[in-house]
Order: sequence, then C-alpha cells, then structure tokens
Amino acid sequence: MKHFGGTSVVDDLSLEIHEGEFVVLLGPSGCGKTTTLRMLAGLENVTSGDIFIDGERVNDIPTQHRDVAMVFQSYALYPHMTIAENIGYPLRVRKIEKTERATRVNRVAAMLEIESLLERKPRQLSGGERQRVALARAIVREPRAYLMDEPLSNLDARLRVQMRGELKRLQHQLGTTTIYVTHDQAEAMTLASRVAVMKKGRLQQFDTPMNIYNRPANRFVAEFVGSPSMNFVDGKVDAGIFVSDALQIPLSGFANGSKLTIGIRPEHIQVLSEPHNAAIAATVYVTELMGNETFVFLSVGSNKLIARAPADFRAELESKVWLQFATDKLHFFDQKNQAADNTD
Amino acid sequence: MKRIENRFNFFRILCLFVALLFALAPVYWMLTIALKTEVDQFAIPPPWFVFTPTLEHYYDAFVTRAFGQYLITSAIVAVTSTACALVIGTLAAYALARFELPWRLNQRLSLWILSTRMFPAIVTAVPLFLMMRDVRLLNTRASLIIVYTAFNLPFVVWMMRGFFADLPRDLEEAALVDGDSRMGAFVRVVLPLVAPGLAATAVFCLIVSWNEFLFALVLTQTDAAMTLPVGIAGRVTQYEIKWGVMSAAASVAIVPILVFALALQRYLVRGLSMGAVKG
Repeated sequence: MKHFGGTSVVDDLSLEIHEGEFVVLLGPSGCGKTTTLRMLAGLENVTSGDIFIDGERVNDIPTQHRDVAMVFQSYALYPHMTIAENIGYPLRVRKIEKTERATRVNRVAAMLEIESLLERKPRQLSGGERQRVALARAIVREPRAYLMDEPLSNLDARLRVQMRGELKRLQHQLGTTTIYVTHDQAEAMTLASRVAVMKKGRLQQFDTPMNIYNRPANRFVAEFVGSPSMNFVDGKVDAGIFVSDALQIPLSGFANGSKLTIGIRPEHIQVLSEPHNAAIAATVYVTELMGNETFVFLSVGSNKLIARAPADFRAELESKVWLQFATDKLHFFDQKNQAADNTD
Repeated sequence: MKRIENRFNFFRILCLFVALLFALAPVYWMLTIALKTEVDQFAIPPPWFVFTPTLEHYYDAFVTRAFGQYLITSAIVAVTSTACALVIGTLAAYALARFELPWRLNQRLSLWILSTRMFPAIVTAVPLFLMMRDVRLLNTRASLIIVYTAFNLPFVVWMMRGFFADLPRDLEEAALVDGDSRMGAFVRVVLPLVAPGLAATAVFCLIVSWNEFLFALVLTQTDAAMTLPVGIAGRVTQYEIKWGVMSAAASVAIVPILVFALALQRYLVRGLSMGAVKG
C-alpha cells in the first residue's frame, strides 16, 4: 500500500494505492503528475507530507534504497553499454554475481522478445526496441513497484497501441504495483485499474476508468476523458425546461432559475434525418468519415455539438437534422463546474 | 565545375603545405642541429639533408649531464600534477554542475575559480618562492606539483563543468533508481560519457605542466629537482650557447607529449569539438 500527501507544485495530494494495482496519473502537461512520480522515486524532495511504501515512511530514504524501478520518457538507456549490460546494470550494482546476472537478463529479454539485441548498443535500436529495453531493465530487478513516466509517448501511433496491450498483459503476469503517468486518456482508460485525474497539482478524481467515464466528478474530468470530448451546453432552467439558445430540453429536479451546464457524450446523441416528436432541430456543420463510424459536427443555435453516427450516415453541409438525446445519460454541472445531482 | 573544383583543391593543398612547412620547419631544424657536428651546425650554406650525423650531443646531454634526471623529474611532476588537478577538479566540476547550492553559489564559485587564472602568473612568483622557502619545499618536486596543480585546477573545473552540464540528468537518475550510489553512478555512468572531455583536459594540463618554465626556474635550482625546460635553458652559459645539447634534449622533450596526444587523438578531437558545438 502506498499513501502520500503533497507540496505546492503538487497541492494536497493524497492517494492510497493497493498492492498489484495499476494506477494511472492522468492530466495535461504541467499538472504535477511527473513531479508526483519523481517524489515517489526520491528524485524530488517532498516539501510537506509523507510517502509510505509497504507501510514504511520513505521520505528520508535515498532513491537507491527505495527498491522501485522507473521507466523514463526518454528511456535513459546508458549509451556506452550494450543492451545486456544496460539490463544487467541494476543487478551489477547490487553485486549479484555474473552467471546469475546473465540468467536473469536472458530470461527478461526472452519475455520481451529482445534476445537478438543483447549485444548491440542503444543507438542502434529503434524507438520501440529501446522502450522494451527500458522495460526489461525495470523488470529484471523484481522491485516493489514500477514507476512509468509516459513511456509510450515517443512511439508512433500504431506501435503505441500495440505496446499498450503488451504492457497490460505484462503487468498482469507480473502482478507488481505500477504507477503510470500519461496525458493520453486512451492509455489511462485501457491500462488502469484506477485513474487519478490531476489538474494544476490537485487531484480531481480517483476512481476506476469506467466510473471516471460514466460519473465524472467535475467538468474538467468529463472533458478530459473520452474522445471525441463530451459536449457541454451552458444554460438555465426555466419552468421545468432547460434552455440554451435554440436548444430546449424538458428537465425536472432542478430549482427554477438555476444556471446549469449539461454534458452529453457524442455516442449518446442520436442523429435523425427526419423530424421526431421530442427531437431537437440542428444544422450539420461538417461530417468526418472515420471508416467505422461518422463524426457529425452540429450547430444548435450558438451551441456546437459533436455526435457519433453509424458509418453509413451521410448529410450535406448546412442540412437540417434532428437530435435525440439519451436523457438518462445526461451529466449536470453547476456553476462551479462540479458535478451536480439531478434530484429527480 | 570540375575544373574549378580541381583548382580549389590544388590551392587548398598548397596552403596546407605551406602552413605545414611553417610549423614543422623549426622542428626539423632542431632535429638536425641535434644530430650535426658543431662544424656543420654553423656552416654556411647549411647542409639541409646531407651531413654526417653524430650522437655526441645526445651523449653529452644524457650521460655527461643530468638531462635524463630532468626528464624523469618533468615526467613525474607533469603526470602527478595533472592527475591531482583532474581528480579534484572533476569532482568539483560535477558538484557545481549538478547540485543546487544556496545564494547562487554555483555561478559565483565557478566565476571565482576561473578568476584565479585571470591575473599574470608572474605576480605570484616571488610570494610562492617565499612560501616554499618557509615550508622548506624549495628545490623539491613537491613544490612544483603543488603549484602546477593549483594552476591547472581552474581550467579543469571550467572545462569539465561544461561537459557535465551538457549531459542529460536522466542517465544519472536512472542509475540512482537502479540502485547505484551517487559515486557509483558518477564512476560507471557519467565518467565514461565525458571521457573525451577528460582526455582533452588531461592533454592540455600535461602540456602546460611539461612546458612550464617560470615557476620551475624560480622554485628549483638543483639538478635533482630541475625540470627539462629549465635544464635546456641552462645551456645558455656565459661563454657560449650549447645549441647541440639543447637541441638534443629538446628533441627528446617533445616525444612524450607527442606520443600521449597521438594515443588520445580520437578522444581529443571529440573533446575539443564537443565544447565548440555546445554554444
């Protein structure tokens, strides 16, 4: 179990992480997630608060004795050593003798399918290969936890998706606690057992990916997770109807006159070519044919929305369409952008 | 196009050849003087390539006189002072490059260290003589080693600090996380990566120490403690200038540095140009 609390770049952060969990720290650049990771590793000082690893307070224990392994964004492979020496470095430093070192290095290399690269130098390897070497170096030690700082961000899109899957399988096999930093919400959703969403040093929500997706705690989390992003409509409740320019939705459970923001995800908007009883009129701004589906950009008065439509949906620019919202999938946010409950 | 290129090439080669001639002519002259009899040395016109060589000057220098001793002294003093300056200076440079000191000490200390090289060395000649006399280190190798280390240190610190600053911190951090101590990470990860810089600095320090004349002259007067430069200069006596002995000794004096520089050539080029590209 790990539990720690914060500094000013990281403000009042408290997280409890369980053994074997895969926790992702998710947030935009500068939100303090990398600083948090480095504090865990001992590479940054904690201004106030405590870090516990396995119940032991480690604030004053230097990096080398914390028994955590780190995978850096730049991989940080030692350029003057061969791959085998790179992977074996943590073992060499612990004075593990040569033959056992070689056995463990070979075993890890086999696990990550890089045996053929063992005698090469880092500069001769591709990005994906280097990333696997960095992973191998972390694994070979069998540490208490893995700390990963955006390890996939330097890979091209296709390789990133592939490595994501392999990472998940690997972590599952090894069962070691992992803390993973990223700004990519897709990585967070697919890899994590729990996600900690951070913004400007503060924790926004710490929950499972599905809960973060379906029940975001505030507008920031709702907007950050999910691609394409959730649609937001600012408006007011007037006599049981939510009104925002040309968009009107009957709504109960909110006080008359209250200002509200409605959030709805693109997949919960159904686009119809024919008018329907409760459907809202809209104009097509542009469509994007993705191949497996179509993104429809719409305007409803001054509001701009995105909806997901089936792959065969077609509409002319500026043509009129009708929208049906899945009303049980509406999210509500109050004026402070916090999630508000519909008391209905 | 090709014709202009050829002409350019020829011009370039010609310039290089002339420059080479300028640089090597004195060395050639010195070598021939060392090998010529005194008659040939002063003959006009001088026999450029055809003359009977003699080893009498070498014999005179190394057997009759103490140039062999001077050579050993020079070697010991240069190597020891370079080693000391490198060890102390590199560690200081690493600390200045990597650790955040309060009150902007990083910049202030670096500038102060460099400033010790900014005044003319001759200013310290008399004070150092008096100091060495008082601690009874006159006419010893130790006095020279101490002085040369002191003079080489600022250069080592300044050069190495630049090389360390250029190294990304990632690698040392990775080594720390992997379980290495600070010193271990320094030796196993950092030093191999700045080896070219170290080599370039080492060669420079060696050359400076080897050729140093002023302080050697001030601090050592006996045969036992004298270095080569002083010994060679001492051949200018009241009555005559012993060119032959001087040249013989000098021709031997340039060999160690040449050998060392050639051995480290690969690192030297990388080290010197690395500094240039840093910008």
